[in-house]
This record gives sequence, C-alpha cells and structure tokens, in this order.
Amino acid sequence: MIDLDLDPELELLRATARQFGAERLRPREREFEAARDVDATTRRAFAEIGLAAVEWPESLGGAGLGALARSLVLEELGAADPGAALALDPLGPTFYALAELGEEPVLHEIARPLLERPGARAVLVWNGERRIELRAGRARGVVPWVPADRPDLLVVLDADSAAVIDDGIEALPLRGAGLRAAGASELRLDGAPVRRWWVDPRGARRALARARHYVASLLVGAMRASAEFSREYALQRVAFGRPIAHHQALAFLIADLATAVDAARLLVHEAAAALDAGAEADALCAAAFAEAAEQAMFVAPNAVQILGGHGFMQDYPVEKWMREARALGLLLGGVDAAREDAGQAIIGEPEPLALVRP
Amino acid sequence: MSFAIDAGLAKRLASLRELGRARIRPVGLEADRAGHPLPPEHPFFAELLRLGLGRTRWLGGEDTGQEEEPPQRRVGEPPASGGERDHRVGGERDHKPGPALTGVLISEELAYWDRGVAVAFPGPGLGEPPLLAMGTPAQRERFLAPFRTPNRPRWASFAMTEPGAGSDVAGIRTSARRDGNGWVLNGDKSFAANASRADWIVVWATVDPTLGRAGHRAFVVERGTPGLGDFKIEKKMGLKAYESTSFTLRDCRVPDGNLLGGEAHYAAADGRGARQAGFKGAMQSFNATRPMIGAMAVGIGRAALDTALAFAREQDRLGDPRVRDRLERIHRKLRAARLLCWRAAWLADARRGNVLEASMAKAAAPAAALEAAVLGMELIGEVGGRGDHLIEKLFRDVKAMDIVEGTGQIQRVLMARQLVGLPRD
Repeated sequence: MIDLDLDPELELLRATARQFGAERLRPREREFEAARDVDATTRRAFAEIGLAAVEWPESLGGAGLGALARSLVLEELGAADPGAALALDPLGPTFYALAELGEEPVLHEIARPLLERPGARAVLVWNGERRIELRAGRARGVVPWVPADRPDLLVVLDADSAAVIDDGIEALPLRGAGLRAAGASELRLDGAPVRRWWVDPRGARRALARARHYVASLLVGAMRASAEFSREYALQRVAFGRPIAHHQALAFLIADLATAVDAARLLVHEAAAALDAGAEADALCAAAFAEAAEQAMFVAPNAVQILGGHGFMQDYPVEKWMREARALGLLLGGVDAAREDAGQAIIGEPEPLALVRP
Repeated sequence: MSFAIDAGLAKRLASLRELGRARIRPVGLEADRAGHPLPPEHPFFAELLRLGLGRTRWLGGEDTGQEEEPPQRRVGEPPASGGERDHRVGGERDHKPGPALTGVLISEELAYWDRGVAVAFPGPGLGEPPLLAMGTPAQRERFLAPFRTPNRPRWASFAMTEPGAGSDVAGIRTSARRDGNGWVLNGDKSFAANASRADWIVVWATVDPTLGRAGHRAFVVERGTPGLGDFKIEKKMGLKAYESTSFTLRDCRVPDGNLLGGEAHYAAADGRGARQAGFKGAMQSFNATRPMIGAMAVGIGRAALDTALAFAREQDRLGDPRVRDRLERIHRKLRAARLLCWRAAWLADARRGNVLEASMAKAAAPAAALEAAVLGMELIGEVGGRGDHLIEKLFRDVKAMDIVEGTGQIQRVLMARQLVGLPRD
C-alpha cells in the first residue's frame, strides 16, 4: 500500500549527503564557481564516502542501490551546489547509457579508467535533433554547451542508440550561464572516432528516462534550497514594522513555493519507485523532469524576488540557484522534449490516470 | 516507499467504477439537465441502500471510529518529507490502507463519475464525524443507530457556515441560550448539504460571541423541530445533483440531550484544550476532509482529461502538438496534485502532523483540476460553448472545490502559519 516512509538505510544516506553538502559544498560554492571545478580535497572526501557510487554495481565499487537512493543524494547535493554535484560525479548520467546499452564488461572497460583518474568527467549528450552526425564510425557536429570544461568521454544518446567517443573531442571554453563549478564548453567533433555504438531503442529510452530522473533530482534540490533560503530570509527582514514573511503577498508566495517543491519531489519519487520496481517509467521520468524544470523556474526566480536587491547580488546564493536551475532544465532536450515524450505516452491510453485499470 | 494501491482497496475501487459508469454519471447528468437536486425519492438512492451503501461507519457501542488526533508540527520544524519516525508494527509494515487514504482514493473515484451525486449519497455525511468525535455513547446510539441498516434512504447534515461566517468559524452568530432543561437557538445557516432532507442537522451555535471559539456549542437539531425552517435550496453554477440549503432557526428549542457531548464536553476542565473542545470538534472533521476535497478535485480533473482525450482522438487531432501539450500538462498537474493528497492522507493515517500538507493538497488540487477543465474546454472549442458537453459541466462543477472547506486563499493562510508563523491578527 501507499507508504512514503524511507527505509532507515536510505534515511542515513540522505543525512550523509545533506551533511556533506552543508559542510563541504555550500560554504565554498563561490570558490568552486570561480575555479570552474571543485578542489582535490573535496573530491577525495566525496569519493571516500561513495556518494556518486550509490547506484553503480558493486563490481564497479558501487553500492548497488536504486534510483530512489540516488535521487535522495542528488537532491541534497543540488540543494548545496548543483554545479559541484556535476563536477564531483565522474560518470554522471552517462552511467545509465553505459549500463542500459552496454554489457557489464564494457561498462568496466569504459568506466573504470575514468574512476581511476581524479577529476575525469564523462558527459551525456542528447542527440534528439541530430546535431551530431554519426557515419562510418566517425562523429561530426557541434554541441553548443555542455557543463564540463574538458570532457574525457562523451556518450551521444538518441532515441535508438548510444555512441561512445573518447578521442578527438574539441572543447572550446565558455563562460557558462550556470553550473560553472562543473565547467562549460562548446564541443566540436570533426570526424572523432566512435569507440562503441550500440543500437537498442529500448535501452536508449530507459537511459534517457534515468538521465532525466538524475537531472530532475538535482532540480528538486536547487529549488528546495531556494525556497528554504528565501523563507528564512523573509522571517528576518523587516519592512513596514514586521517581517516581510508576514505581509500576505509574500506569505502566500512562500506557501506556493513550498507546494511547488513538494509537488515536483513527489513526482520524482513516484518515478523512482517505478524505476526501482523495474516497471515502465519512461513517461513518469519525463513528466518528473518537466515538472521539476517548470516548477524550478517558478521557485528560483521568486526566491530572488523575495530577497529583493540582495537577491540580485552575488553575496547571496539565490541568484546562483536561479541560474543553475535554468541551466539544468536545458539539458537532455529540455522541457519540450520531456513534455513531448510524456504526451506521446498519454495519447495511447483511454484513461491515463485511472486508479484501477479500465 | 511505495505508491501502490493494495488489492483489497483496488477491488472496492473497481466496483465503484462500475457503479460510477452505470449509474453515478448518468444520474449526475440527469440532475444537471434538470437544474435541481435529485429528489429524495429518486430510485437511485434506494438502489444504493440495496448495495449496502448509505450507512454509518459507526460499529455501535463505544466505537468512535476515530483515531487520536495527530500531533501537530510546530512552526519552524521542517516539513515532513517522510520518515522522521518509523511506523513499523512488530517489525513488519502495516500494509492495510488507513481510513484517510481509503477516503481519499474513494473520493477521487466517486468524483470522477460525479462529485455532486457523491455528496447526495444517503448517509450521515458530514454530520457523522462530530457525532463520533464529540457525541456521548447515548447520542451515538440515538442518532447513528438508524443509519446502521436504514429501512429507507436517510440523510444527516452539518451546518456551520452562515451568511457572515465561512472559514473563520469563530465568527458564527447563531445563538444558543439556556432555557430550563433545554436550549433555544436563533440564527441563519447557509450552504448545508442535504439539510432539507436530513433526519437531523448538527448545528453550531455560540453561547457568547465574545468568547470566540470557546463559546461554541454543537446541537443535534431534529427534523420537524418547531422553529427549524425556511429551507431554501440554493441555485448553483454546478454540482446540481445535491442540495446546498440555507435555513433559519427561530426560537428553536432543543432538549439538553441534544447538546453534543453534553455540558461536560465543554466545561469539564478550565484547561484551554477543554475550553476549545467545541471548536476542536469542528476542526477535527475539517482537517480530515481537506485531502478528500483535493482528491475530489483530482477526480473531476481526471474526467475532463479523459473526455478531452477521447474528443481529440475522435476528431483525429492527437497529431497536433498543441493538443498533446495541453493533455500532457493536465495529466502532469493532476498527477502531482494526487500525490499531494495521498501524502496528506498518509500522514493522517500515520498520526503525524499534516496541517501544512493537507492545506497544500487542498490548495493545489482544485487549481490543477480547474486548469484541466479550462484546457479541456479550449480543446473542444465551440462545442464547449453549446452547454451540453460533459467538459462544460465539469468546468462548472470543479470551481466549488477551490471554495468548500476553506478557499485556496484560506489554505495559504494556514500554510503560512505553519511555514512562517503568520500571526493570527
């Protein structure tokens, strides 16, 4: 039956991630942003507690936990510093493409060298619009932005296939709109050799769904942090004789921000439960991504608004969360592609929300 | 963590689904076309009795049907995202759905077929929770026993709202004056569901308006009591299948035995809790029903989604991305609203504070459902202007969900009290 409690081990995992974010990431977010990377000590500490590895198979040094566990961790990291969360994850969502389309030995062959090189980064690029042309074992095309300075590995995912590229990737540095702690670059591929190419539509769809779930979890974290920070600020800041939180215009807005965060999180958790049960979850993940990206663009800009002039200044973190949330929502084809996939899943059903099957 | 509905409840929902398709939606449309409530003698109500519906959930004797009140979270405590406390029993999770979740799921399914008809169902309705929470064993026996195996469709009603007092129940002006071994009631009550056909109505009155909530008393006023009258069945925009009725109490005399809970309930101790017992009795039932109203909104929105989807399919318009966009948005917002309702009910069943979460569900779901009906109307275009399409009815019906049991604005006041300690004055 419906039960929203977490198992004690997941509670512990969440608390660990929350503590890491609060103690190791949040205080240094501007430093990471300026350096376009996290420092080696933070990276080592992160690797030691194994937060990136919760979902990886045990053979890869992971904990073999599921999507919900990963999502809880990502929400906490996203609530601290979404850019750093990406910088700290050597595989990122490429793990899903490698795991869904490749065999386990291949996952090892490709992933292990990255894990052994501190600071290595793999980047997943959604190629729904065929910006990258794959022909005769070569890749050509331009990706306008990826949140990484020098990707060591590129996985190009489309509806049917995934291609692995680890050579001939030209990365032109960009300032980046958000997520600068993870870096930012334009990628140019001019005949880069494709090391592996798997055609498997089912695996590709599932990889995309899990990647969307990954980003949606970070988005929930970023908007939760925005909502919480602006709520606390509104209780401190006084205008016209009372905390601004007690002016109804802001009190109602604060209530709506909290609701938006919870609504998005519930969709993310529902999708996680489906993924972990091995059930059909593509549409749920697409909807969770769309909702998280949309609600984040309601929450984060309004958090800046609540702080007024301070919100616009970089002394406070809310402007950064606003930029990071916007950038996250552009990944993997963005909201449009997610809504399209979720919409296509609905139109095939007579009663898509029926409580019991018609 | 699980989002699965257990098999027993799924079976109940499946049988409601059949009743809904075969009877609830047709009689709802019938009432909407007629423009007035289904009359008490409508054969549909007798059918419901034969199906074992329209009864009290009171089991008899000392049963109160109530769980103890969940502890309320204090301002500043973080919202429960689940899991602060473990509710395992004997090492195993209890997988039976609690009463709040059951109520939420059944409410959604009923409202999917027709929310107005669902309220018109015979039974003690909203009169039951205060009887169970505050009534003495003798009062429960006297007023609920006839609803155990009713020989005819019977209704009860609940009257708090007045022309000048809605969610701010402290503002009620209906007066209760002691007179010998009884009470004399005077005042006006508004929008009480099923009041003119009710065997009895739980009427809220005040012994002294200056006392606010502490002055509240609840009385069971029986049908035919002299002074109870002027029943006026309101004309509504939608939800026409059930009666929303205003009535007056003019020197209406009720015996001592009809004061809910007896004097002891209100005056037993001087502690604040006891002084506010009357008010708390009312609020208890409100808190339990907010997620249910949210779920009803989801049900109405779901009906709009399915109807719009069927229309678009029939008109071969599903290839249009604007059509798919609307359907996707409706679907996603309703799904999120449903989960907010489930969470609020699950917290209530786990006896954890849910004031914030119940208000979130109640604030969010009607907005999502209204949007479903609005976008559904856009999708069917001029057909929606005809006034004879199901989506047009749902568009009228759904608006009430953002109003009853506390408007969306009142919910935000309640949320803000939890989130930022919004002062009461």
